[in-house]
Amino acid sequence: MNPSGNIGVMEQNGDDHLATPIHGPSVHSDNPQERIQARRLRIAARQEARKREALGEYLDGKKENEEEQSRSYKQKEESRLKLTKLLLCGTELVTNIQVATDIREIHRRVEEEEVKRQRLEKLENEVKTSQDKFDEITAKWEEGRQKRIPQELWEMLNTQQVHCAGLIEDKNKLISELQQELKIKDDQYVKDLKKQSDDISLLLERMEEQVKNVMKNFRQELIHIEKAFELERQELLSSNKKKWERALQAHNAKELEYLITRMKKVEDYEKQLNKQRAWDCEEYNTIKIKLERDVQILEQQLQQMKATYQLNQEKLEYNFQVLKKRDEESTVIKSQQKRKLNRHFTIIDAEKFREIWLMNEEEAKALAQRAFDVDCVIHVQHLGLPWKMPDFWFLRNVGPISLQQRKSAAQILEELLLQTEDGTEEAVSEDESYLDLPKQVSAKTTRRILMLLCDESGFLIESKLLSLLLPLEKSECYLLRLDAIFSALGIESEDDLYKLVNFFLRYRSHRLSSAKSTSIYTERTSLMSALERMSLLSQADRRSQVSKSEVESIVEQETLQGGDYESLVDKELREKEDLSSPRLIHPNDVLKILEAFVMGLKKPKEIRPVVRVKKDVRDNSRDSEYWESLAMVIPVSKQSLWDALYKALEKYYLVLTQRAKLLMENDSLEQQNAEMQSLLQQYLQAKVNAELQIPPTQGFRMPTK
Amino acid sequence: MQDSPSATSGPKAHSQSTFNLQRQASTAGGASSGASPLKTSQNPAPIHLKPKTTNVRRMRRIISEDAEWTLAIVPLLTELCIQHIVKNFQNNPILKQLLPEHQKKVLSHLPHDLPLTVTANLIDDENYWHRCCIKRWPVCHVAKHGGSWKRMFFERHLENLLKLFIPGTTDPSVILDLLPLCRNYVRRIRVDQFLPPVRLPIPPQAEEQSDSGSEGEGNEPEKDHCQLESLVAGLKHLEELDLVYGVKDCGMNFEWNLFLFTFRDCHSLAATIKACHTLKVFRLTRSKVDDDKARILIRSLLDHPALEELDLSHNLIGDRGARAAAKLLSHSRLRVLNLANNQVRAPGAQSLAHALAHNTNLVSLNLHLNCIEDEGGQAIAHALETNKCLTRLHLGGNELSEPTATLLSQVLPINTTLISLNLTCNHIGLDGGKQLLEGMSDNKTILEFDLRLSDVSQESEYLIGQVLHANREATRQRTLSPGYFMAPITNNSTENSVG
Repeated sequence: MNPSGNIGVMEQNGDDHLATPIHGPSVHSDNPQERIQARRLRIAARQEARKREALGEYLDGKKENEEEQSRSYKQKEESRLKLTKLLLCGTELVTNIQVATDIREIHRRVEEEEVKRQRLEKLENEVKTSQDKFDEITAKWEEGRQKRIPQELWEMLNTQQVHCAGLIEDKNKLISELQQELKIKDDQYVKDLKKQSDDISLLLERMEEQVKNVMKNFRQELIHIEKAFELERQELLSSNKKKWERALQAHNAKELEYLITRMKKVEDYEKQLNKQRAWDCEEYNTIKIKLERDVQILEQQLQQMKATYQLNQEKLEYNFQVLKKRDEESTVIKSQQKRKLNRHFTIIDAEKFREIWLMNEEEAKALAQRAFDVDCVIHVQHLGLPWKMPDFWFLRNVGPISLQQRKSAAQILEELLLQTEDGTEEAVSEDESYLDLPKQVSAKTTRRILMLLCDESGFLIESKLLSLLLPLEKSECYLLRLDAIFSALGIESEDDLYKLVNFFLRYRSHRLSSAKSTSIYTERTSLMSALERMSLLSQADRRSQVSKSEVESIVEQETLQGGDYESLVDKELREKEDLSSPRLIHPNDVLKILEAFVMGLKKPKEIRPVVRVKKDVRDNSRDSEYWESLAMVIPVSKQSLWDALYKALEKYYLVLTQRAKLLMENDSLEQQNAEMQSLLQQYLQAKVNAELQIPPTQGFRMPTK
Repeated sequence: MQDSPSATSGPKAHSQSTFNLQRQASTAGGASSGASPLKTSQNPAPIHLKPKTTNVRRMRRIISEDAEWTLAIVPLLTELCIQHIVKNFQNNPILKQLLPEHQKKVLSHLPHDLPLTVTANLIDDENYWHRCCIKRWPVCHVAKHGGSWKRMFFERHLENLLKLFIPGTTDPSVILDLLPLCRNYVRRIRVDQFLPPVRLPIPPQAEEQSDSGSEGEGNEPEKDHCQLESLVAGLKHLEELDLVYGVKDCGMNFEWNLFLFTFRDCHSLAATIKACHTLKVFRLTRSKVDDDKARILIRSLLDHPALEELDLSHNLIGDRGARAAAKLLSHSRLRVLNLANNQVRAPGAQSLAHALAHNTNLVSLNLHLNCIEDEGGQAIAHALETNKCLTRLHLGGNELSEPTATLLSQVLPINTTLISLNLTCNHIGLDGGKQLLEGMSDNKTILEFDLRLSDVSQESEYLIGQVLHANREATRQRTLSPGYFMAPITNNSTENSVG
């Protein structure tokens, strides 16, 4: 409720003297409630002051708010205090009964103790007196025994009896008294029971009353608190409402003001609009007239333009026709030129290559010849062995090593068509003339198939080309058309062409074999399988081709490999060929076959580009071998022989030079000797010798010569 | 089915609707009086199978009293199964295997008079036990039994058995058979009467003996009460034992024999409470426990591991018993000691005060309606100087007077733990009251100070009331503000004041 309460409690001692509230509850009051109230107010005031300082503004509205808030708080506090007091009083009222019974019990105990003490005292007294009496009586018995006179004895006995009776009476009296007391106690017990039940009923009554009372009060206080809140809410509501109304009024006034100004403006604008409209109307009319005149002029111009356009169109049409014609011509020329150009360039290249090759070869061969000469000299002169000119294949070779050139499909076509065109009789020698073609396929059949294909698949050729081909020769026409068809089908190489032809043949054979059960479906499937086999074959071909490119021709290679399948296929095809003639292929089937073929061809196409590149370039793998073998005309064994010979000769040369030197020395020594002899002779024959006592000649013997 | 066309037909519907009201009233009455889950379970689908009942209920479209009512002609198989399970529950109790929703249904339909051997350890559902309790006892305060209906059922069931147990006549197996069923649930035994054994030839003798109540001791061995030893040993969660060796509602048939707590009873009880290590609260009131018996009991409680509250009020304990209790204070963790309405005098109070001076466990001490007088009161007041634990002290009705008040007024400013002090029904006197007021004005902790009927002037009593009020407000502020947590203590105090 009041979180800073502890702060206030802590501060209260220190600040008691500083802040003394002038009015309202005082901190120094005797009433603790008042003091608490005063402290609370002080704390609230302090907080408020702090808040104001923080905000730096003093708003009247806030003050009001504070007051209003405190009203409900006050009510709550009031109710709480009242209720706690009520509870306290109620419990006190209820416990009062207990306390009352307690004090009654204490009083009873005290009284009981007193009574008990008295009773004991009384009993003791009684015992004493009765004992006295009893003693008296017993003493008298002795007295009686001494009495001899019966009368006296009787008298004494009588008195004794009276005494005893008195004693017994006393005792009985006591007993009855005690019994009386007991009875009273019994009554007391009953009374106590009654009293207890009364007390308990009273207690219950009070408790119930208390519960009711408390409930009532709690309700009442709740209502009070609610009322306080309600009141506060009402006040808040009314104040807010007032504020709201004030604001609304201000708003209304402003709205009205705005409305009036707006109306004024609207009027103004309307006037302006009218003016504007009149002006616009006039302007519009003038412009309209002017524009209409313009339109007339423009229409005239348009007519003129149209006339010129017509003229131009005719001119252009004529030009277009001319150009078209020219274009057609140029396409024809272009295709012709292209083919020519292609062949020309390859020829020139080959020529150049051949020249260079020959030149180098000549040089190399000259060198080799020199080496052979040297070898011959060495063998004949030094070793005394007979020498034989070695015979190598490459020495005999002149010109570049040429593999059989692979022809393009178009080339073959050309050849084929041209050849067959010359004469049908030539077909006898077809085997020799077409080494490249697989043996089983005759040129004739090939040609027929191609013709058929050409006739049936005209749709693959561009219409423009067709129109251009019309004036051409028949064979040329066929050639061009086939060219176009092949390009459309993706047939480029010799192999592809043969494959196509083979495919046709196979199809035909297949059809013949399954002539009875002419189901197209089976045809298709078998066709497909055949095609697959074909593609497999071709792949194998290609692989072997790549690996063994030094073998001159494919045909040779295939025969070398001794392909089992090849022979098998051969056999098959042979049989079929016997059975068939190309005419048996119905023109209507051509399209189907083509479709199947193209489907089959698609797969291996991916490998094709690489292969093609290799085909175009001249195969030069054997070249290096050729040149290397040229370089190695003198084998290594011979070279080592040469080396050994060289070394031996060198040593021989060394010995010879030493010998020559020694001979030279010998000569010089001989010469010296001769000179010395001549000198000695000279000296001996001199006169000096005679003049000497002892002639030196005596000392030594004359060297005899 | 039959009800649906009633709304459509015009005049017919009108005539029916008047009839409808009557029917509604009658069915409503019948349903409210006899509608028990048991009944509906006995005759399943009463609406559809019996043609008569359909006639009876024809006019009703919705029967709000009957939660089972549906339009379905044939009851579901699950319904039938559940009904069957309910019917045969006694012989074949199936409950744990069922789905929770079906369990609930079965439980809501089970009759409350099933044998405990079936239900005790099988059913934990509070609703079932709630029904059982409500059926059996008109007034049920479940809060007094830890909020658990099952616990309440078994505790009260056991109490009833013990209350009506007559030694020698009743078969002890009645109670011991119940033991395995209730051992997990009973935490408290509260028995306010123990019947003495019945002696058959006695009626004539009894009247003769009533003349002299002191004669009973010769026959004592025959008046032993029910022995709790084996029962208490079997209850593993027992925490509270509240016994009264006496007979209730004897009225004018009062005999002293009916209220005998024999030595054998005492010895067996002592052994019982010594063996029960879970016991927290032990109460033995209104049982004529004298010094010797109190010493026997207290000796067995020395160094008890769990005991927190000992209540021996309304007995005959004197100074020796009080001395034993003082010894117990220093040899246990006792928090509450109640010796109200005994015969403790000054020496006993002095020994208690001596133990109290350095005790750190005891929270509440009640010496109400004893006779400790000023000597004992002064001793206790001295003990309060050093004690830092005691919060409640009741010295009402102890013949205290001014000297004690003087000493208390000196102690009150020093002591900061005492919250409640009761000095009612003493002879404090006017001066004593003034001194107490003086002492109170410097005290900030005491919230209750009862001085009723203590010969204190009204003025000082009122002023003390003002101080108390101020203290209460201060503690309230403290508990409301964060950081201080005095709430638990004040809560305890209010609870204790009720008891």
